[in-house]
Amino acid sequence: MKTVRETTALVIGGGATGIGTLRDLSLRGIPAVLAEQGGIAHGTSSRFHGLLHSGGRYCVNDTLSAKECIEENTIIRRIGRHCVEETEGFFALLPQDDPDYVPAWIKGCEQAGIRAEEIDVAQARLLEPELSSQISRIFRVPDSSIDGFRLVLHNAMSAQRHGGTVLLYHQVTALERIGDQWLVHLVNTQTKETTSIMAQVVINAAGSWSGIVAAMAGLDVPVSPDKGTLIVFNHRFSQRVVNRLHPGSDGDIFVPHGSITILGTTSVPTDKPDDTTPSREEILRLLDIGEPLFPHLKSYRILRAFAGTRPLYTPGSAQGRNASRNFQVFDHGSDGLPGFFSIFGGKLTTYRLMAERVTDAVCQYLGVNAPCTTADTPMIEEKPVERIQQAKRFFPIPDLSLLVDRAGDDLESILDNAQQRDPASPNSNPLICECEMVSLAEIAAIAQSKDTHSLTDIRLRTRLGMGTCQGTFCTLRAVTALVENDIKTANDPLTEITKFLQERFRGIRETVWGTQAQEMQLNNAIYCGVLNLNGQQYASTK
Amino acid sequence: MSVHLNPDTCLACSGCVVHCPVAEATPAFLGPRMIGPAFERFRLLGIVEDASLHYCANCKNCEISCPQNVPVATINMLARLEQCRKTPPSLRDWIVAHGELLARTTKYVPASLRNWALGLSLTRLILDGIGIAKQCPMPSFAKEPFRDHIQRIDQAQGKVVAFFPGCYTNYYDPQTGFDLVWVLNQAGYRVLVPKDFVCCGIPLISGGFKDDALANATQNAKVVAELTKASIPVITTCPSCRLMLTRELAAFFPTVTKTYGNPNVIDAMDFLARLIASSELALSPNPPTLSALYHAPCHLRAQGEGLPGFDLLRYFPSLSITNLNAGCCGISGSYGFKKEKYAIGQTIGSALFHAVKSSPVSVVASECGTCRLQIAGATGKTCLHPITLVRTLLEGNGVA
Repeated sequence: MKTVRETTALVIGGGATGIGTLRDLSLRGIPAVLAEQGGIAHGTSSRFHGLLHSGGRYCVNDTLSAKECIEENTIIRRIGRHCVEETEGFFALLPQDDPDYVPAWIKGCEQAGIRAEEIDVAQARLLEPELSSQISRIFRVPDSSIDGFRLVLHNAMSAQRHGGTVLLYHQVTALERIGDQWLVHLVNTQTKETTSIMAQVVINAAGSWSGIVAAMAGLDVPVSPDKGTLIVFNHRFSQRVVNRLHPGSDGDIFVPHGSITILGTTSVPTDKPDDTTPSREEILRLLDIGEPLFPHLKSYRILRAFAGTRPLYTPGSAQGRNASRNFQVFDHGSDGLPGFFSIFGGKLTTYRLMAERVTDAVCQYLGVNAPCTTADTPMIEEKPVERIQQAKRFFPIPDLSLLVDRAGDDLESILDNAQQRDPASPNSNPLICECEMVSLAEIAAIAQSKDTHSLTDIRLRTRLGMGTCQGTFCTLRAVTALVENDIKTANDPLTEITKFLQERFRGIRETVWGTQAQEMQLNNAIYCGVLNLNGQQYASTK
Repeated sequence: MSVHLNPDTCLACSGCVVHCPVAEATPAFLGPRMIGPAFERFRLLGIVEDASLHYCANCKNCEISCPQNVPVATINMLARLEQCRKTPPSLRDWIVAHGELLARTTKYVPASLRNWALGLSLTRLILDGIGIAKQCPMPSFAKEPFRDHIQRIDQAQGKVVAFFPGCYTNYYDPQTGFDLVWVLNQAGYRVLVPKDFVCCGIPLISGGFKDDALANATQNAKVVAELTKASIPVITTCPSCRLMLTRELAAFFPTVTKTYGNPNVIDAMDFLARLIASSELALSPNPPTLSALYHAPCHLRAQGEGLPGFDLLRYFPSLSITNLNAGCCGISGSYGFKKEKYAIGQTIGSALFHAVKSSPVSVVASECGTCRLQIAGATGKTCLHPITLVRTLLEGNGVA
């Protein structure tokens, strides 16, 4: 039987903007529900290079964007401490770059309020020994790296703490105007159950899918998904974000994240918002373009590649790099759709500002007078240091900082899980994923949380299988641990292994050469050879 | 600036974990793959060092077993150097790392007095108190360091070869050096023992004393470079010294090898085999009949050049030599001397000790001084350098 629930505001899209909007609404005391067709940050927010822009990239052509970037950069470093690595960034000028761009860039930084400090190239290369000796000028800016998935997750945790509701795996199938309300029909993509939500306000924050959602309300909106491909390297060969000091182009940003480095991106128009398959051509091109900054680039091991789509808002006919990275908030009341709002375009760095602007518009529509507090409220409440100190001895790795940062509100349940294990056994909480240092307690605790259905859900929360071996060892270990601890997933263990490895391989397929090819040989030997997972070897030899 | 090695070639296959004697002996050690290439990815991020890093014995079995040539132990040692730069090592660690300095500064105190003092139970208790296991057999100081003694020995003019004796031969076991000199004299070589050679630095690296190790590396590389330039070959009887000089210097101190080149130091056993092959060294027509067991030191195997000492001994038909092939002895330089590592060292060596004890043969040959000390201590059998057997076989006239 179909259920209908009521709320004040319904947000469509569980990326940074949508979840950020849910958080803003919740902090302002407005009852709100969010519907996301996949898991948390399933779209673009987890599919970019993870750069928290200083604004240096935009300061020449787009002072407004640059200003917004540096302001939001400062805010997010404050409210999202656990998602951000304060790496700082370099802008480096190579012989093939136009030296005349530099004065314009310096002026742009000044105008936007970005602190850009030139440093001695020799000094910079001491800090970053892998950088090219061809570099003639280097500037340091307050770029940072940011974990997009975690940012969205922590926003969701904050929103939920303040009363917001997140419905994952809920796809919008139709929008209806009933009286002065909106009736939004949803289908649960996992269970196929349908539900409907009655709301006074609908906020379309579906990113690359926002054109499709708008079309459901009868609007024709120029949102063009634009595909960007990125490469993940096995180690951190740069401690800082490194940008080319030239007008923004393909393959000119390196971002270190935890144990890895990401190089991106390309820019190719696409008609499908879920076009997230990287192509080998693009990968090879990225390597060619990236090599002048890091001359040994091609010798570094590639773990995988991935792609995401930018939700470019393209009135007129601007495309790709020429299209504005600005965002636009629309009150479709002027289109005859009162209570229907859209947010188009934008970039992750300014997600909070976008959420604030759309929430301001919603508040005005609802006649609610509540100020935005998202810039001053940390997303995750800090745990007492003593609590973490005490828990250290229950973990195989004494440095819990990575765990604390990624766990967010689930930290307590993870620490509890570790403490409840047999203290007499020296190996009661072993590392399940050695490459990314994820312990059994973390996996078990996350596996039991309500939004976890699969190893992939566990992976996104813990980084299980995201390191050097890409699941070669930890997939079997994790599934075994779940079975031994009597924790159920949506699929049976064998299917879980297969699905997880296939998902991993999807990103490896186009980069499988060198050491990673050897790794995949080993992977194949273990799962298909030893465990006969594909079950075809015997059949074909008989 | 800290030196990091690119951890990219590790496949996480865990072959090194299977072959790590420490990981097998104690669950307290996270294991070579985790502490080495896996943790290295997080060291680059600046994470706090794992507490179990000090368990790595630097025995190099990880590197021997790695199909991808990942310098696992070297990664660990670089991490330890970095760790010790931040937190200075203990007095005990200073003592075991600076054996050469201690021996050198006390060399005018009669050896008998030093050995007597070191042998006192009170001394052992005090040493135990600072972390040097009291059960451990200690090497005895020689009456006079080999290098001082050899300068007074008359050697006939001839082809010149330079000898890097290493601390063990120099201060505790000069006989190995004398035997080598005797054998080389037979082949018409005059053996030069340059006074400028210092400790190879491997104990300093394991102990975390980077500056001291760098100073020694620079000094040794400079001397070897001068000798090499003068076309004088440099040889050593110690596998660990050779490992350090020819293999590790470039990894730990690239600036040194950039300046002086990679030191070319030849394994003395290899050198002798060449002399026999070229008939420069004649075998005795009437050698004694002998039996011995052979233990291959880990640091010899880590060089990946086979077992030149064992191969050399097999040149002598009157010698029955058996390769024990029973793994690490557990001492790993100074590792097994450390109080908290003593039991681990004994566990690691137990298979080897068993093999030695259960054999009727009473002599064990091994190139490594501390291996010999450990095996002799655990089994009571006679342990000597292969060169001593070679000398016996060359000078013998049928009577062992």
